[in-house]
Amino acid sequence: MRPVFLKVAATVLTIGATVASAVFVSSHVKNPAAPLQPSVLTGTSALGGAVVVGPLVQPTNQSPITSTYAS
Amino acid sequence: MRPEPAVVAHHFEAMGTACSLFAIGIPESRLFDGEQWVQQLASRFTRFSADSELSRLNARAGEWVEVSTELEAVLRAAGRAYEMSAGLVNAAVLPSMLAAGYTRTFKAGATTVVLGRARPAPALPAVLHVRLGSARIEPGAGVDLGGIAKGWMADRLCEVIGPNVVVNLGGDLRAAGAGPRGHGWPVGVAGLTLLLRNQGAATSSVRRRKWGGAHHLIDPRSGLPADTGLEEVSVVAAGGFEAEVVAKTALLLGPEVAPAYCAGHALAWWLDGRHDS
Repeated sequence: MRPVFLKVAATVLTIGATVASAVFVSSHVKNPAAPLQPSVLTGTSALGGAVVVGPLVQPTNQSPITSTYAS
Repeated sequence: MRPEPAVVAHHFEAMGTACSLFAIGIPESRLFDGEQWVQQLASRFTRFSADSELSRLNARAGEWVEVSTELEAVLRAAGRAYEMSAGLVNAAVLPSMLAAGYTRTFKAGATTVVLGRARPAPALPAVLHVRLGSARIEPGAGVDLGGIAKGWMADRLCEVIGPNVVVNLGGDLRAAGAGPRGHGWPVGVAGLTLLLRNQGAATSSVRRRKWGGAHHLIDPRSGLPADTGLEEVSVVAAGGFEAEVVAKTALLLGPEVAPAYCAGHALAWWLDGRHDS
């Protein structure tokens, strides 16, 4: 009697988890309006285009104290 | 509103390029000490002086040579750069640089270009061996530390000078601390100003240090001056050394792959290529 009960319980648990997963996934579909990561300040990474700025760097209107340049 | 703290600055020439130091909360004399540190290390890492520590190491290829703590650290950094770039940033391109005519300082001018002698660079780990206090270069090989040394020195000098400082060594720079207004140091990157805080930036280019049909940036895959379609790359990364490696790697990868590479390895970036098409 006891093994049968365990088999039934395992089967119910599996089916329940599968159904719950399906419900969760279908209710969290991809948001097509979600922003791209890393975020892009302006433009794209096209050659000669804008600087691409990731989320860990802040642009500013201040005058630069120094610059990176080719030497 | 609190007044901005005073920024002390010091500008000088080293390694054939313009260098600048900026700091808050320390006496200006510390910046002069910083210049001395740069000049002293530059004289040891240059390949343009026969009696520099690097030249002696290159000249004694095949032997274990005693090296200073600093040169050992930069040689190990060269090994890391090789690994980080999957071999594209390879300090063992020296023979190809010489074949391209870059045999003396750029100010002194290039010598005869003999690109027929250029060969793909050997794998750095196969020709450069480093152990505690000594290093060995395989016969026929040679090492140029170039931008790797500048990025490494910018990072180290930030640690030496103080907590709120910018070190810019010929465009390879590191910004440490909160800067004048507490949000980071304003640093120019390809025409945009970014606030850098404990981050580095670098630019790799084939538009400077060029002569005839050649320039200084060697593609280790061919041993020839790089011609990937990209001509200049500026990058912000976690430090000056990392920025130098990522910028050079992106330039060598070329315009097809560099955007995706930068998206995975840089905090900000700018790519510019040939405008003839």
